[in-house]
Amino acid sequence: MGPLIAYDLITGSTNLLFAFLIGIGFGFVLESAGFSSSRKLVGVFYGYDTVVLKVFFTAGITGMLGLLFFSLFGWIDLDLIYINPTFLYSTLFGGVLMGAGFIIGGFCPGTSICAASIGKIDAIFFVLGIYIGVNIFNEIYPLVEGFYKAKFLGSPKLSDFLGISDGIMALVMIAMAIFAFWLGEIFEKKKKPVIY
Amino acid sequence: MKPRILLAIFVIPLGLIIAAVPENKTHAFKLSAEQLLEETNAGIQYYSPEEIADLIIKKDPSIQLIDVRNVDEYSKFSLPGAINIPLTTILEEDWEGYLNQDVKINVFYSNGTLNSDKAWMITRQLGYENNYVLMGGLNYWVETIMNPESPSSTSSDEEFAKYDFRKGAGMALGGGAVISNEKKAGTAPIIPALKSKSKKKRVQGGC
Repeated sequence: MGPLIAYDLITGSTNLLFAFLIGIGFGFVLESAGFSSSRKLVGVFYGYDTVVLKVFFTAGITGMLGLLFFSLFGWIDLDLIYINPTFLYSTLFGGVLMGAGFIIGGFCPGTSICAASIGKIDAIFFVLGIYIGVNIFNEIYPLVEGFYKAKFLGSPKLSDFLGISDGIMALVMIAMAIFAFWLGEIFEKKKKPVIY
Repeated sequence: MKPRILLAIFVIPLGLIIAAVPENKTHAFKLSAEQLLEETNAGIQYYSPEEIADLIIKKDPSIQLIDVRNVDEYSKFSLPGAINIPLTTILEEDWEGYLNQDVKINVFYSNGTLNSDKAWMITRQLGYENNYVLMGGLNYWVETIMNPESPSSTSSDEEFAKYDFRKGAGMALGGGAVISNEKKAGTAPIIPALKSKSKKKRVQGGC
């Protein structure tokens, strides 16, 4: 039955419409959860507010459980889900760069758009920075192409890598999430509350 | 109650369930164009005439030959044990029991491979397993099994062994391999059985 687009049950345009509606929902939830505040966002790096960790990890395990149960009921074919291909070196480098940018700028790309849309000046500059960065990358792409495409791993899943089933992997992820939330709350208690 | 505890109460049992149940590996739907192209190019659907001849001679019960030519052609001659599912009727509900099963190995054949390949692609696209194609079809069958060409004297031992096998198989199946149904006036006629809606009857007719 699913993914809807892969089975031609909906057209590409309808798919975009769904994406648009889900995007609005996502933005709305981000904003109402306070994710348009850079102080709240970077709190996860300083340990005074781990809500970022909680929200994204919860979203992750919710989506994971949803997909696995949908697959179990035969509602979706997991083999047809697009998984971003992994280019190991650029993933690692990009991850470090993104993390650094997150701490310095106070936003991740999604939340920066969210904050820019409610008129936060720092976020507007952040988005401008993304735009400039993307263009620089485009211009120097021929120079970095070798590194960008190095160590291609296909679309590996952690469960394949470890040789365990998706279900057991899911349980491990859930245990990790609960443990991380508990750890996060301990850190939060130790830090002085920050007003923002 | 803390949100963390509340969350744990919900997701941990779900995680336990999903870890305990086997993964759903059924993909009852269609292949992508790329996958189909890959499979077609790899030629995984082919059974060579030798393999089929060997299975027929051994009276292997796991094999089911399926003639995808039309009824007239089928009634003129067919391979031993073959049933007739004309390509034009392949999507009819009656045939699903034959085509979508995991007990027998279905081998489609037609005069060449074009129609049997079509049948294979359709069933493959429907997600059915265990369907194959007789390589080269009946033409190649006659060429290799019924009238094998003796290899030149300089050929390798392998070629001779192949020839000996083909000759032996041709003799074992001789005449019987290309059954004239007209001769079998006394036996169950195939055409009426085809029209029947009863699957059971059709099997009897075919065998």
